[in-house]
Amino acid sequence: MARVAIDRLSKTFPPPVKDGDPVVAIGDISLEVEGNVFVSIVGPSGCGKSTLLNILSGVETPTSGKVSVTEGGRPAHLGYVFQDARLLPWRTVMDNMLYVRDDGDVGAANASRYLDMVGLAHTHEMFPGQLSGGMQQRVGIARAFSVEPDLLLMDEPFSHLDAITARSLRDHLQELWSATRKTVLFVTHDVVEAVQLSDRIIVLAPGGRIFDDISIDLPHPRRATDPKVATLQAEILGRFEEMHPADAPA
Amino acid sequence: MTAAPVALPETSAPPGRFRRWLTSPVGAQVTAAVVFIGAWQLLTLIAPRVPGPNEVRQFLYIEITGGSHGGIVRGQFFEHFAITLQRFSLGLLIGFTSGLLVGVLIGLSGLARALLNDTVLVLLTMPAFVWAFLTTMWFGITWQAPVLTVAFTTFPFVAINVAQGVRAITPELKHMSTAFEVGRWKQFRHLIVPAVAGYIFAGLRFAIIVGWNGILLSEWFSGQAGVGFRTRYWFDANRYRGFVGWVIVFIVFIVLVDRVILNRLQKRAFRWRDASEADFIEIEERQVGL
Repeated sequence: MARVAIDRLSKTFPPPVKDGDPVVAIGDISLEVEGNVFVSIVGPSGCGKSTLLNILSGVETPTSGKVSVTEGGRPAHLGYVFQDARLLPWRTVMDNMLYVRDDGDVGAANASRYLDMVGLAHTHEMFPGQLSGGMQQRVGIARAFSVEPDLLLMDEPFSHLDAITARSLRDHLQELWSATRKTVLFVTHDVVEAVQLSDRIIVLAPGGRIFDDISIDLPHPRRATDPKVATLQAEILGRFEEMHPADAPA
Repeated sequence: MTAAPVALPETSAPPGRFRRWLTSPVGAQVTAAVVFIGAWQLLTLIAPRVPGPNEVRQFLYIEITGGSHGGIVRGQFFEHFAITLQRFSLGLLIGFTSGLLVGVLIGLSGLARALLNDTVLVLLTMPAFVWAFLTTMWFGITWQAPVLTVAFTTFPFVAINVAQGVRAITPELKHMSTAFEVGRWKQFRHLIVPAVAGYIFAGLRFAIIVGWNGILLSEWFSGQAGVGFRTRYWFDANRYRGFVGWVIVFIVFIVLVDRVILNRLQKRAFRWRDASEADFIEIEERQVGL
């Protein structure tokens, strides 16, 4: 149960061409996330979603402002799910799970448990190349949960999958999350997906500002076909569309 | 690809077994060998000082079985071969491990690249006989000279190839490893070495060939035993069948090492790739209901 504190964070990249304007990826964001919540960060491409994750994970440094990711006062332990599975193709599924852990037998039992939870108990000795894209991404999700992170960062994990596979993976993710209740920051450009999964949706606008911060109070797990979910999805999608005429850069 | 049906004339019989064997890869290889030996035999008719295949075969038989070459000179095959093999293995081990480490360093760090890359390139262009001379000058007629010749000739080939392989590792997997805080040694074993395996094998193949050349030269100049020494012994004695016989021995040795040992190691290292292919074929077959 991590605490994420973002205080007046800005990130500007140098101009891509000589004598051009610097690119503002994130412009003065303040935000707090705490507790066993599933938070989505939604926005059109180029609004700084991935930059925000990179700053939280320490890959990039902020231009100004502060971020802290803590767990009871100490730096939080992080887990990651990427857009693609990022498995070592020359190691078996089980060895891939153990690659990110340092604790031998305990790790193996734990890894096994999470593989079971995503329905991949039979794949321990298989190589990633023998699995479909969706199965590989399930291994990626199981791997991220198995390191028992305080905070889980997910960067558009379903965007490379076909719609049917993505839907079944969302169900797997909801099951895992209900069982573990990790703090999750989930980046996506898909509002519908965000509504189905999250307790809270932070909408970013181009220029890296917060456009909206929406709480969703529906019980988990949610089915995509649930009328309440569908209604909310339509409503938020409506708000999202309003953003474009006013905020999209000319 | 669908082929249009071709109406065969009724008289044409299917090609005979021999013809099919002749056009198979094995048949082609055997044909090449037969042509080579035939050409060699022809050459001896034109140039009488060139020993023929049969002469060489007789020589090798005596040399390997330890029989008499006439007088008190007896065949000494295994003694010399074992000595060379020991020196070669030790030299290759030194050259390969140091090449692997330096290659990884050059591949990973810009500073190491700036420091070492040119040196490795210079070493790469240095012919084996230079090392054979230099090590003989430094160490005299000792076992260190051939061992170090092998180490020096193999090292740059392994280093250059490994460095290239390390730089080709996908940044996504590196990023994943850093994000999950995977330790350096673990990354080396499970990410870098397997990713670079193809380049390591390419480097090792070259290394074995140049290293083997190196040791023969070194023993030729400074040896008191070994394959190179024995080859020179027959050369100095004006017995060209002995010279050619030993040349054949080290060619056969290199071919066997490449075909038998390296090929198997390579298959083992890449079984993840073979497994994936095999499985996909199986799945496809199931899908089309075969």
